[in-house]
Amino acid sequence: MTEPERALEQARATAASMRAGGAYGDEEPESTALEPGPTGGVERLLEWALIEPDEREVRSTRRLGAPVTWLKRGLLRLLAQYHAQLLADQTRFNVHLLGHLRALERRVQELERIAGEDREPRE
Amino acid sequence: MIVHQLLSGAGPQDAITTESLAFRERFRAWGWGGGDYAAHIAPGLNGSIKLLKRFKPRPQDVLVLHHSAGAPRLRELLTLPNRKLLLYHNVTPAWWFWEHAPVVAIHCAAGREQLAELVRSVDVAAADSAFNAAELEALGAARTDVIPLLVDISRLGPPDRRPAPRSGDGDGPVVLFVGRLSPHKRQDELIRVFAQYRRHRAPGARLMLVGDPITTGYLELVHNLAQQLAPGAVTIESGLSEAALGDRYRAADAFLCLSAHEGFCIPLLEAFHFGLPVIARPAGAVPETAGDAALLVDDEDPAVVAELLHLAVTDGELRTELARRGRARLELYAPDLVAQRLRAAVEATAAG
Repeated sequence: MTEPERALEQARATAASMRAGGAYGDEEPESTALEPGPTGGVERLLEWALIEPDEREVRSTRRLGAPVTWLKRGLLRLLAQYHAQLLADQTRFNVHLLGHLRALERRVQELERIAGEDREPRE
Repeated sequence: MIVHQLLSGAGPQDAITTESLAFRERFRAWGWGGGDYAAHIAPGLNGSIKLLKRFKPRPQDVLVLHHSAGAPRLRELLTLPNRKLLLYHNVTPAWWFWEHAPVVAIHCAAGREQLAELVRSVDVAAADSAFNAAELEALGAARTDVIPLLVDISRLGPPDRRPAPRSGDGDGPVVLFVGRLSPHKRQDELIRVFAQYRRHRAPGARLMLVGDPITTGYLELVHNLAQQLAPGAVTIESGLSEAALGDRYRAADAFLCLSAHEGFCIPLLEAFHFGLPVIARPAGAVPETAGDAALLVDDEDPAVVAELLHLAVTDGELRTELARRGRARLELYAPDLVAQRLRAAVEATAAG
């Protein structure tokens, strides 16, 4: 019997041995991971700035909720013009804010570059 | 005594809601009155929880604040003169959700922001694990009681009945995970490990994922990943009755949990109840809940996890020993023991 305390050690040894024999050489590419990436970058923020609500999330979780889902989605279509205005206004704000942020970042980088040059020892 | 419970959200499949209803049964048995309220209520609760906007306590009533997400009207509640007990169930860090479920991320970010204010404002702070209690203590809580989740696992039925296989089932082992289909539960990693296990050890194996998806879009991503890596071998189910959930545990050969963040992890105890060997990541409160009854693995290499799973499925004596330890573990979380701790904490809150 494998003691529970020794099971991991044994699994590591077996995995290593099998890998040496040619198994487990076919790991899936990292692209199959769904772990969220970092959220702080401007590129990611730009992606999120363009608002695109997912209509599939508008649904009822009640028992026999299909007619309620149908009704909710029907209302969305009826209000589509109004929502388009809302989304456009918010997206305009998001995109311009990010543009402003990028300009500030470039300016800070430029100032840091100049300050760095100033600090370099003079011959 | 009148004891009210306040939740940020309530739903029929929600662990905190289930626990608050179990608490209410105990309160009634102890002769205590009061009501249970939530800011948001999902359909299907049959009026057992009332909307928070109807909450009108008397000053001498005790409030039990269940905290697991951002709660609207919190500041207003904290300024009430009532004695307050905080029960902290942990709040998953928001960064897990910004990409796939921004609404959930906002609730989690708010929940984390509110925690320090809660700690400062309540009379007694408690958490359902030492892991969660440590977070409260880091925020300045002087003394934190640990009151494990009160769960009656027998509601899932006895462990000894194995249902007949459904038509179309493969002959290989069945690997189970129960938990919300959500980025931090790492069903994607489960599928990657399972695909390796299936390829190198058990070609007929199946993976059952049980849990409500955090969004329809995320469900689709996980489903597509399963189709890509282990076509036809992964089932994803949600909204199961307790009887059906019990059947899934009975049909399984091992429970594999690669979740990256857990404040308690009830499914570990459910797996112990059904005598399943458990393989888990030692994340959050998992080592504390599982004790020595699970095989804990923090290796990133899927081959190691797959081999550990293979060992847990095939080594009969190891399975027997893990099942024995699991039963012993369950005794520590017996509902009557937890209820004693709960009662002591509520009475301490009321006494001041």
